[in-house]
Amino acid sequence: MAHLFPSEPWATAYKNAVNDNPLYASAGKDWTHGTVALIVRADPSIQIDEDMGILLDVHAGVCRGVRYITGVAARSEAAFAVEGPYDNWKKLLIENQDPIKALMQGKLKLTKGHLPTMIRYVESSKQLLASAQSVPTEYRR
Amino acid sequence: MNSPDYASRIVFAPDAEQNGLANMVAGLILQNLHDRPDKRADFARLRGRISIVAEDAGVAITLEFSGDMLTVHAGIAGIPDVTVRAQSDDIVQMSLLELTRRFALPDPRGATLREIAKKSRTGQVRVFGALLHVPMLLRLTRLMSVH
Repeated sequence: MAHLFPSEPWATAYKNAVNDNPLYASAGKDWTHGTVALIVRADPSIQIDEDMGILLDVHAGVCRGVRYITGVAARSEAAFAVEGPYDNWKKLLIENQDPIKALMQGKLKLTKGHLPTMIRYVESSKQLLASAQSVPTEYRR
Repeated sequence: MNSPDYASRIVFAPDAEQNGLANMVAGLILQNLHDRPDKRADFARLRGRISIVAEDAGVAITLEFSGDMLTVHAGIAGIPDVTVRAQSDDIVQMSLLELTRRFALPDPRGATLREIAKKSRTGQVRVFGALLHVPMLLRLTRLMSVH
């Protein structure tokens, strides 16, 4: 069953997808640097009236929890925050784009977090995205 | 040791702030300068222009070092002394280069250097001007390395 992106059910399915991804378990096994927020910028035309975030509590290769919260709360709670407009996230999910390439193109931005740490765990970031790409997703447009 | 205000010494030329690669590289250098005092001497000594082209992403930047000062330009600005052309992944790999304990040179035993050397041989990673500007390239490598 496909879940609307972004939403609470999608976030829950995403958590399961991360934990079902053995490549993430391996690439993220040393990650002890805190929570990661994926933030979708507000877009009232598709009923996202304010920035919304998926806050992943990832630790040592396991996703211990996930919350779907406002962007403000996600930014405040997360150790790392990656943000972008809805259409860019959609493109990333549909086209299996590389997150690093998306960051270099300015489609997504790392708005919070220690960049050298993020770079050290680049494979882990890729596997987080690969997990998202495996979630059956219904898009808002 | 007090950390000098490097944020004011790394500036974006007009339009560069919108360039994701420019933000990544400037952010990485700034964070390294804050975290690692041993990298500050390299920043102070670097002079010249280095262009980085992420071919698959269709993005380029030029780093203009002028001794304790860096201006980041979008695209190729002026005539670069060194130009690095690679895939976005390989550019990130370059910042993962392991450095030797002594002299902080790229470690020939490191897996990352061997991988990059292999890609250089096949033309996947191309560095123009490297032979004429070895010290500049080594300083940039140290400055951008997360190790």
